Amino acid sequence: MTAAFTLSGVCKRYPAFALEDVDLALPEGEIMGLVGVNGAGKSTLLRLLGGLALPDRGTIEVLGHPMPAQQVQAKREIGLASEDMRLYGSQTLRWHMDLVRAAYPRWDEAYAGELLRRFDLRAAQPLKAFSHGQRVKALLLLNLARRPRLLLLDEPTTGLDPVARAEVLEALSEVLRDAARSVLFSSHDTHDIERLADRITFLHGGRVIDARDTAAFLDDWRRIVCHGALPASVGQWDGVASVRANGSLSELRVRGAEAVVGLLRAAGADVRSVDPMNLEEIFVATVRGGGKH
Amino acid sequence: MSPLANLPMIRLLVAKDWDLFQRQLAAYVGAGILALALIGSAKPWTFYLGSLLLLVVLVAAACFAISTSLLTERKERTLGFVMSLPVTPLDFYLAKIAGNLVTFGVPFVVLVGGTAGVILSTPVPDGLLVWSLLVFGHVLLAHAVSLSVAMAVESEGWNTFAMIASMVLVNPFIMMLGQIPAIAGPMRGEAIVWSAEAIAILSTQVLLSAAVIGFTGWVHCRKRAFY
Amino acid sequence: MPVGDGLFLSASDGRPMYQQIVDQVAAKVAAGDWPAGHALPSIRELASASQVSVITVKRAYLELERAGLIVTRHGKGSFVAETQELPKALLRADLEGRLREVARAAARLGVGIDELKRLLVAAHDDQASHTAARPEEATR
Repeated sequence: MTAAFTLSGVCKRYPAFALEDVDLALPEGEIMGLVGVNGAGKSTLLRLLGGLALPDRGTIEVLGHPMPAQQVQAKREIGLASEDMRLYGSQTLRWHMDLVRAAYPRWDEAYAGELLRRFDLRAAQPLKAFSHGQRVKALLLLNLARRPRLLLLDEPTTGLDPVARAEVLEALSEVLRDAARSVLFSSHDTHDIERLADRITFLHGGRVIDARDTAAFLDDWRRIVCHGALPASVGQWDGVASVRANGSLSELRVRGAEAVVGLLRAAGADVRSVDPMNLEEIFVATVRGGGKH
Repeated sequence: MSPLANLPMIRLLVAKDWDLFQRQLAAYVGAGILALALIGSAKPWTFYLGSLLLLVVLVAAACFAISTSLLTERKERTLGFVMSLPVTPLDFYLAKIAGNLVTFGVPFVVLVGGTAGVILSTPVPDGLLVWSLLVFGHVLLAHAVSLSVAMAVESEGWNTFAMIASMVLVNPFIMMLGQIPAIAGPMRGEAIVWSAEAIAILSTQVLLSAAVIGFTGWVHCRKRAFY
Repeated sequence: MPVGDGLFLSASDGRPMYQQIVDQVAAKVAAGDWPAGHALPSIRELASASQVSVITVKRAYLELERAGLIVTRHGKGSFVAETQELPKALLRADLEGRLREVARAAARLGVGIDELKRLLVAAHDDQASHTAARPEEATR
């Protein structure tokens, strides 16, 4: 099976920021979500994959094409939309569609027309008359209608109103139908990622701090509430990311709950509940628990 | 597809740039023709005014071509969109050079040809031809330098400086030509005199322009980020 | 407007997404919407229509298969099981769903596993004594 992309030992340094030693791969047909705070390196990672930046070290392969040596072949099968990418304000959406259509042999005019209707965009309007949400949707249309095998989306739903956001997510989940198409997208909204992504990668401070399939993330982490005095060393236990106490009640966020629950019982604590955590809580716990695993 | 360059995509990029500023370009050509008409009426004051207008038009066309195709693209953040298309940095560079050949080169050639025609076919002394070609040579070099700086340096301040400084230098350059007897001498006569000095200056201008453009391409293809 | 085989999944539902899929498919089979032998939508189809990841639907189908509600034929897709055991499988899936609800309610109340076991044993004994009194109901 071919990989949608493979990064090995990739480093990219900027004056104020560095992406360090990134090893990451996405099997074809899967969706990967990138979670990280601003400045974690999400945009840099997407730009490296889209051929807009070259790594200082390491190798990048996209759909079997080494970058940047075969970037033209790779870019023909990539759709890249990022928040800071702008279109020509003086030109109409139709002009942009014609430009992209001329550059991509697989451009699907019927699908473009359908997206125009669904996104409620006017092709004859110049881009400078578009609202932020319309610009985001226009860029997404230009990328989706070229039927890319790898779709790279940097914050596709940020700043959109709820209706536009639902339209974008709907269009994105249509890509799922085709087993040959892969997606890498970053989002502030971990709910979108939790729901749509097969795999999740946590980026923090320019490093990949965790990358696994979504089910593994969600099954692994639990919030434990217990009653009674806990040993002082509980924060150092294997898998315990955080401990908070309020009177005799304590809340632990842990990875590998069964072992911790056993230890808690052995220590005489009364375990009241063990609940799943959502992706946002898992991300925060992973960042705070930094490197303890 | 040739391993070196991706011709259909280069053509597409040039056509895109042409779409973006064809209207303004037509205005420059119009102003250039007006300037030529003024020169051609061969009265001392119209000749002076016409030459001045011609220089202004050329400088403006040069700056406009550079700023629209390179600086605006960077400032308006459309560069990322362009570079995400199936192109290499070399394709992008070649497209910009080719695009500039059209946007600057076409009015430049029209104006050079028009100037030569006016000088040769009107009572304006034919000896002026060599001198004017040298002045055009300076504009060509100044454009090449500005284009290179625009491509290689992101700072807007340096770009403005390079554009204005290289074009303003046309004044001392004209004064310097006046100090060279082999060029200043035949200016008012009817004979076209290609002195060794004139040939040396013109060929230096042309070769230097080509070298600057080539060096820029080399630098551009070694960049690490394109957005 | 997407119509057809999409399921109605919600992030504000307490159950995980795959569990919501399992429960809804089981409900559709129980209601007769999807009779025995009915072809289920492909994993990608259902993921796309319900706007959830492929991995989530895969997991739900695995659970349904384990519960005997559906069968997967290699290269052909998944179908509602033809087996005679279907009502039993449905009842079992229903039971497991109820037990999960019980576990959640217990967690909210802070009822620990030992107490829960005691409660369950008590409920079981209660039920057993009822059926002993009225044997005709137990065999129904």
